[in-house]
Amino acid sequence: MPPTPCLRCREARAVIIRPKNRHKLCRNCFLEVFETEVHETIMSTKLFYRGERVAIGASGGKDSTVLASVLKTLNERYDYGLELMLLSIDEGIKGYRDDSLETVKRNAVQYTMPLEIVGYDELYGWTMDQVVAQVGKKGNCTYCGVFRRQALDRGAARLGIKHVVTGHNADDVAETVMMNLLRGDLPRLSRGTSIVTGSEASDIKRSKPLKYAYEKEIVLYAHHKKLDYFTTECIYSPEAFRGSARTLIKDLEKIRPSSILDIVRSGEDMATLVPPEVSGAKNPTAVARATEEETTGGCGSQNGRSSGGEMADMEKQLAADENAQSHETEIKLSDIQLPDGSVPLQKTTNKKTAKKPPQKGTPLGKQVKTQTMGKCERCGYISSQKICKACALLEGLNKNRPKTAIEVEIAAEDEEGSTTLMRQMERIQLTT
Amino acid sequence: MPGKELSSPCVDCHDVESILTVRSRRLCRNCFVRYAGGKIVRRMEKFRRQPKSSQYKLLLPLSYGVSSSVLLHMVYAQLERQRANTYSPTGFDLQVLVVEPSTISAFSPACEERFETVQKAFPAISFTQVSFHSIFEFDPNVLETLQEFAGSSFVDDPSLPALDRLEKFRRSITTSTSRTDVDNILLIRLVVAFAKASGCQTILWGDSDSRLAAKALANVAKGRGSSLTWQVSDGISPWGIEFEYPMRDLFKTELDNYANLFPEVKSFVIPDAPISENILTKNLSIDELMMRYVQTQGEKYPGVMANVARTASKLQASELRSGQCKLCGASTASAEGLTGGTTISEEREIPRFCLGCARSRPMLDN
Ligand SMILES: [Zn+2]
Ligand SMILES: [Zn+2]
Ligand SMILES: [Zn+2]
Ligand SMILES: [Zn+2]
Repeated sequence: MPPTPCLRCREARAVIIRPKNRHKLCRNCFLEVFETEVHETIMSTKLFYRGERVAIGASGGKDSTVLASVLKTLNERYDYGLELMLLSIDEGIKGYRDDSLETVKRNAVQYTMPLEIVGYDELYGWTMDQVVAQVGKKGNCTYCGVFRRQALDRGAARLGIKHVVTGHNADDVAETVMMNLLRGDLPRLSRGTSIVTGSEASDIKRSKPLKYAYEKEIVLYAHHKKLDYFTTECIYSPEAFRGSARTLIKDLEKIRPSSILDIVRSGEDMATLVPPEVSGAKNPTAVARATEEETTGGCGSQNGRSSGGEMADMEKQLAADENAQSHETEIKLSDIQLPDGSVPLQKTTNKKTAKKPPQKGTPLGKQVKTQTMGKCERCGYISSQKICKACALLEGLNKNRPKTAIEVEIAAEDEEGSTTLMRQMERIQLTT
Repeated sequence: MPGKELSSPCVDCHDVESILTVRSRRLCRNCFVRYAGGKIVRRMEKFRRQPKSSQYKLLLPLSYGVSSSVLLHMVYAQLERQRANTYSPTGFDLQVLVVEPSTISAFSPACEERFETVQKAFPAISFTQVSFHSIFEFDPNVLETLQEFAGSSFVDDPSLPALDRLEKFRRSITTSTSRTDVDNILLIRLVVAFAKASGCQTILWGDSDSRLAAKALANVAKGRGSSLTWQVSDGISPWGIEFEYPMRDLFKTELDNYANLFPEVKSFVIPDAPISENILTKNLSIDELMMRYVQTQGEKYPGVMANVARTASKLQASELRSGQCKLCGASTASAEGLTGGTTISEEREIPRFCLGCARSRPMLDN
């Protein structure tokens, strides 16, 4: 069979089938199309202004490395006039972070960008290794996510930078849409897709220029551009709903490659349909921000397995709600016919507890969840609670600190998690 | 009553042996029927007695599947009860529409006898049977839209019978996701056109809660997020006809249980095709994938799945921004300036089709 020519230039030989739409392209055309699409996203959303100082949240992984490379290219090609720099967080995970931080350091040289590394130990007084030793491996995704998001803001503030870009891609956004639908979380559904998220507590805005870029294309871009990146993702397993959404999206992509993008689009459309009293908050992008902090594990782990605990918990809660509700609801018995054609005798109904028929779309006996934003009393960080997630987590950690000195017996349910973690640690060492 | 020995009494009436577990409660036959019926009655509340002048005309599309069959049984019972009261008029008038299943899918049986059976089971209401290709009669504009939709992939031949012309169009769509998607829209358009022709303002769809959850997820995955306000939520469809989903509070398994209790329903229901284990994921349609997902997850987490439909139904329809899709009536805003994956071949002018429909067009099939 003769080589297939590139769909775009019709000259060079096609070496890439685009995961997004199965177009066959040559290397150069693929790189250019990929970059142009990111450029279009940046232009259509007016993401930057001339002279803006922008920090790229860099983990050494593929997403942020590609983001840094593409932004550097576009900044020069289209003369954005941006001052770009790399901002890295050192979670303090031995064998994992050490190597990825080396990658980021090399990237800083390769892209001639200044680099700032902020450590968990200096920000929180705890490294991730210490956190894991303290709490075991269950629910560690929570710490990983919450601490990292806040660390980016705090690091940016240190650099005097007002805009942090992150490597979140279309797969991440699609996953978040599906996850929020599965969790029945309308406020988050309404804001999870916005490209820019702001904050009431700090004036640092966060954005995701790769929002429409497929994870698979990011990998291809990194490969064909021969970028230097670190291949391991976060080693902690995702929360159950995110895990379920992730599986679903991988299946959908097999059936119809455009579906990742279509979910992002659906998410954007649905955001406009969420009733205002539900999306809450005067500053909607601030909700989105809190949303990211609280829910985006951002771990992108492909092999993360979850216990399903969150889904089981919600199932229990819903069953309890339904039970309570069925006792409140007045059943119009006279309207119901028995199989033998008779009408059952009227049961006594307590008129006081009898509820009016439900309004359209309102779940019985349950208020729609709303969110209001304030500041954390301890650290001043944006939070929907009195105390932000990070401070709440820290409180728990600090309370139990002395115990870490003693060998803690691993609970039976933690064991699987720990062996998984160890296996993953071993693999990391093998791949480096 | 002392002396009565029940091994597992019904938790509602305590009088009778329970026969099945419903949301972790053991119920007897009568209490289960009352429970299920109660959920429908509540949804049908708005169609209770009305002054004669403002009586509702409701259309119930019957597919002979379990859900629409059970819905018919329940709504009919409600109508009978209203009729039994000779002093006031019934709240609504019910019409049933059957789109002959064998004209939709070659795998479906011909249903002539079935149509006789169902009419005998519910003698007091009017039934109409049409074929899928009668859409060209009821919705005369659809042909032009289909030609535009399929472009050069579909060359219509007016000398052919309607059946063949529709078949030819359907064959121009090659993936099962797109075919199922477009078939669904055409069926909805046919039912809507029939409703309009027969003066019905409201269509009662039989979708169970599980089905609505699957539909919500599938529509989101197909870029049809904005259509949830009428495809999952009770609401006004783009054609001005009201869509209602009275079965939204019942799980599919509960409808199966209900149907099993009534031989007259069983007599005309076409049983669900069993889920085949050995189809590769990539060969499923998105609608099938989501149906399977909701079914398997629903075994462990029925409440979570039910909550998906409830969440989706909280979305509020908004004013139509920009144009209206010629095929499905959704806003075409979603198809404007598609970012990503579109730089090469998609048109840049104002779109005539929404994103969801654009994805199912033959030349864009991928
Ligand atoms: Zn080329
Ligand atoms: Zn705090
Ligand atoms: Zn009973
Ligand atoms: Zn459409």
